[in-house]
Amino acid sequence: MTALDETELDVVAESPLARSRRTTELTLLVMAALITGAAYTITALGTNAEIPPGIVVFVGILLGLLLCAHVVVRLVARGADGTLLPLAALLHGIGFVMITRLDDELAGLQATWSLVAIVAFVATMLIVQRATDLARYSWLFFFGGAFLLLLPLAPGLGVNINGARIWVSLGPINFQPGEFAKIALAIFFASYLADRRELIAASTWKVGPLHLPEPRYIAPIVMAWGFAVVVMVFQRDLGSSLLFFTLFVVMMWVATERVSYLLIGTVLFGAAAYFSWTQFTHVQTRVDIWLDPWADPLDRGYQIIQSLYGLADGGITGTGLGRGNPDQVPEAQNDFIFSSIGEEWGLLGASAVLMAFVLLVGAGLRIALRTDRTFEKLLAVGLTTIVGIQGFIIIAGVIKVVPLTGITLPFVSYGGSSLVANYILLALLIRLSDSSARRLRELPDDPTPSERWKAWRLTRRLRREKRRAVA
Amino acid sequence: MNRQIRQLAVGIMACYVVLFVALNYWQVGRKPELDARFDNTRQVLREFNRPRGPIVTADGQVAAVSFPTAPGEPYDFRREYPTGDLLSDITGYYTFAFGSTQVERMYGDVLTGTTTEQQVRGLADLLGGDVGTTGTVELAIRNDAQEAAQFLLGGRTGSITVIEPATGAIRAMYSNPTYDPNTFVNADFDVAQAAITELQNADGNPLLAQAYQERFMPGSTFKVVTTGIALESGLVTPDSVFENEREWVPPQTNDPIQNYNGSLCGGDLPTVFARSCNIPFAQMSTLLGPEAMVGGVSAWGIGEELPIDLPRPAASTFGDTENLAQELPLLAIRGFGQSEVQMVPLHMAMVAATVANGGRMMEPYAVQATYDQAGRVLDRTSPEVWKTPISPATAEIERQFMIGVAERGTASCCIALEGGIPVAAKTGTAELGDPTNPDLSHAWIVAFAPADAPRYAVSVVLTDVQSTADVAATGGRLAGPLAKGMLDFLLTGPGSQPISPSTVPPSTVPGDGP
Repeated sequence: MTALDETELDVVAESPLARSRRTTELTLLVMAALITGAAYTITALGTNAEIPPGIVVFVGILLGLLLCAHVVVRLVARGADGTLLPLAALLHGIGFVMITRLDDELAGLQATWSLVAIVAFVATMLIVQRATDLARYSWLFFFGGAFLLLLPLAPGLGVNINGARIWVSLGPINFQPGEFAKIALAIFFASYLADRRELIAASTWKVGPLHLPEPRYIAPIVMAWGFAVVVMVFQRDLGSSLLFFTLFVVMMWVATERVSYLLIGTVLFGAAAYFSWTQFTHVQTRVDIWLDPWADPLDRGYQIIQSLYGLADGGITGTGLGRGNPDQVPEAQNDFIFSSIGEEWGLLGASAVLMAFVLLVGAGLRIALRTDRTFEKLLAVGLTTIVGIQGFIIIAGVIKVVPLTGITLPFVSYGGSSLVANYILLALLIRLSDSSARRLRELPDDPTPSERWKAWRLTRRLRREKRRAVA
Repeated sequence: MNRQIRQLAVGIMACYVVLFVALNYWQVGRKPELDARFDNTRQVLREFNRPRGPIVTADGQVAAVSFPTAPGEPYDFRREYPTGDLLSDITGYYTFAFGSTQVERMYGDVLTGTTTEQQVRGLADLLGGDVGTTGTVELAIRNDAQEAAQFLLGGRTGSITVIEPATGAIRAMYSNPTYDPNTFVNADFDVAQAAITELQNADGNPLLAQAYQERFMPGSTFKVVTTGIALESGLVTPDSVFENEREWVPPQTNDPIQNYNGSLCGGDLPTVFARSCNIPFAQMSTLLGPEAMVGGVSAWGIGEELPIDLPRPAASTFGDTENLAQELPLLAIRGFGQSEVQMVPLHMAMVAATVANGGRMMEPYAVQATYDQAGRVLDRTSPEVWKTPISPATAEIERQFMIGVAERGTASCCIALEGGIPVAAKTGTAELGDPTNPDLSHAWIVAFAPADAPRYAVSVVLTDVQSTADVAATGGRLAGPLAKGMLDFLLTGPGSQPISPSTVPPSTVPGDGP
C-alpha cells in the first residue's frame, strides 16, 4: 500500500460509527459529571445543611477534566468504545464525593491525584498510539514490573503501613508500586503468551502421567507464582497476592485454552494460602475475623462489624447522602469505601456501583472478543481481569463474603497510586478498543501522528534523493 | 480463545452476582437483626448528629440550644442548657449514650425536624434556597415564674407548680432536688456515666421531676376531693353540721380517729373545711362507702397517669381498694388524705384549678407551641377538658369554702395577697407516721387567685418537714408563704407584667447562637 502519499495523508475520512461512539461518550460523561455534581451538592446539604459555595466551580472543573480526556480520545482513539471512560468517571465521581464527605483534607489530596490521573490518562493515550508497540518492550515491562513489585521490600524505601509492606516512601511522596506493577506484568504476560501459547499448550514434556510444557516455557509462569508468594509472605498483602495470581492463571487459561491451568492455578494458590494460614498469625487473624467478627467486636472485628452495621442501617434506599455515619468504620475512605456507599446510597446505590463494574468488565472483555490479535486479546483480558477481580476481592471483603484483604476499590477508593494506575489501565483499554475498531474497518486506520512524522521525514529524504539523482 | 473469554465474562459476572446477593443479605435480609443489636449505635448516632432546634420558655428564654462543635470532635453538635438546673425538669436532657428525657424526648422529632410536615415544608423551602428543618419548641413554662419558684423554695426539697385553671397551661413547675444537665450532656462517656449514676443514686431522685413524676401523701388538701365527692352525691350540703368532738371511732375498730393535734373540732361544713377538722371528712368517707369513694376519686382522675405532654407522668392513687368494705377505718382515714392516698403535686394544682374553673379539670401542658425553622407555627396546644368531677354549683360551693380557708381558716396566717386580691386555698399536713420520727410530715397548700376571677392555681409541697419548738410544720405556716409569694409575683409583682407576646425566634441556625 502506497499510503505514504502526502495528499492522501491529509484526508481525514470521517466515520459515522466513530462519531456516534464519541457522541455517546460525551453524553455519558456529562451525565456522570452531573450525577457527581448532584451527589456532591446533596452530600453537603446532608452534612452541613448548606449548598456548597463552590459547586459551580466544582462541576466546572470536573467537566473540564473529563472533557480534556474526551477530547484526547476523540483526537487519537475516536473509534474506541464510548462507555469505558464514562463508567470510570462515574465510579471516580462517586468515590470522590464519598471521600469529600469522610475527610475534607483527603478530598483535597484526592482532587490533586485526580488531576494527575487524568494527565496520566492523556499521556498514556498520546504515548501509546499503537497497542502493538507495547509488545515490543515486553521484557522491559517484566523487569520493570518485578522491580516495582519488590521495591517495597528494599530497606530504607519500603514502609510498613497497617501491617502490609506495600508502600514506598520517596521523600514526601508515598506510593504503592504494586498498583503499577500489575499493569506492567499484564503487558508482559500478554506478550509472552501471545508468542508462545502454542508451545506452552503443546505440553511435550512428560513427567509420569502428566503432560507439561517444556520447562523453559513455563519458567516465567512459575516465577509469577513466585511473585504472588513473595507478595503474600513478605509484603503481607493477601489481596494483591490473590489478584496477581488470578491474573496470571486467567491469562494462561485464555491463552492456552486449557482448563488444567485453571485447576493447577487454584491448587497452587490454595496450597500457598493454606501454608500461610498455618504459618502466619496475620492470615489466621483475617480468617478468624471473617468466620466470626463478633468474637472480638471491639478490636479485631470492629471494622467489619461497623461496616455491616452501616450497610444494614443503609437498607434499600440508604440513609441519604451525608446523613449516615460511615466514619464509624476505620479506613472508610480506603478499603471500606464500598460500605460507606452502601450505607448512604443504600442497596440501590451500591448495586449501581456493582453494575458499573460489571459493565466495565463487559466492555473490556468485548474488546478482547472483537480484536483478532492474540496480544491485544490477552492484554484486554488481563487488564479487565485486574479491574474486575480487584473490585470483587475488596467488595467481597467488606461485605464478609471472603476474608478481608486490604486492597483499593478501583477508581473509587482514596489513593493516588491506585487512581493513576487505573486511569493508565483505562487508557490502554481504550487504545485496544480503538485499534480493534480500526482493524474491523469500522473507521479508516489512519496513521498516528508519530507515523505521519516518520512518513514525512521519509518522503523528504526520498525527494531529496530523487532530486540528487536528477541532479 | 473467544470461548474462554466468554466463560471468563460469565465467571466474573457470577462473582458480582454473589456480591449482589450478599448485599441483599446484609442490607435487606439481616437489616432488622443488625439494627437491633445492642452495640449498633448507627441510628442513635445519626439522630445525634442532626442539627437540633432550641427549646424556649413562654417569655423567650432559651432553655436548650445546640451549637456545632469544632471539626474532629466525636459529635457534630453540643447541646447546652443556658438556664442550668432551672428548667431541667421540663427540658430534660439529651445525651448520646444515656438517652433523653422530658421535652427533649417527647419533641425530639420536632426539634430535629423529622416530622412529616417539617420534611414537606423543608423540601419546599429548599427550592427557595433555604435549608434545614429543625424546629423550635415553645414551653408554656415562664422562665421568670420558674425563677420565682426556685427562689421561694430556697433549696428545700419539694415543688411548686403553677397552672392556669382555664387552659391547663403550666406556667411554673419547679422541684428540688434537681440537676444541671450541662454537667454531663457533652461530657465524655466515662464522666457522663459517673455523673448520671451519681444522680440516679442520690436522695430524692433529682433526675425526676417530682412535681409530675412522683406522688406524695396529700394530707388535708385531699379534703377538696372528698368534699367534692360528698357534695356531688348529695350526702352533705353547705349547711350540714358536724358534731364538735375530739375523737371518733369508725366502724370495724376500737381505735379512734383524732383531729390534728387531738383538738376539739366541729361545726357546719364551711367551718370544718376552714379549720380542717379530720373527723367530719372521715365520717363523710365512711358514709359514702367504698364504692362511691372509689368511683368519686376516679372522677377526679386519681389512678390515671396525668395527661401531660411530657414522658412518664405519675398517677395519683387512692391506695389499695381491694377489700375496702372490710377495712372501713382505712377508708375513713383516706377521706382526709392520710394512709395510702398519694397525690402528684401537679394533680393537686389541677384539683384546685378544677374548683377555680367551674368543675372542669383541664389537661395540663408544658409545651404551648412548636414552630418550624422559619418561625411558622407547626402546632399550638389547644386546651382540652380532661375530667369534669364536679358540677359548676359544687365548684362554686368549694370555691367559697377555700376562700374561707384563706380568710379565717388554716391558711389565714400566711396567704393574704398583696393589694388585697382575694385568694382561695386549702392546706394540708400529711403525717407520714414514721415510727422513728413521728413529727415528719409533708407540708402542702393548694390555692388559686384572684378568687373571684381565677388566673392562677398553685400547689406547693415541702416534703419531709419537721415541727420545731417554735413552728408547727403545718401546710399553712410552711407552704402558705410560698403560695403567697408565687401568687404575689404573678399578680402584683414583676411577673404581673404581660410577657412579651409570642415572638418566637426562628429556630436558631447552628452557628448563629448567642
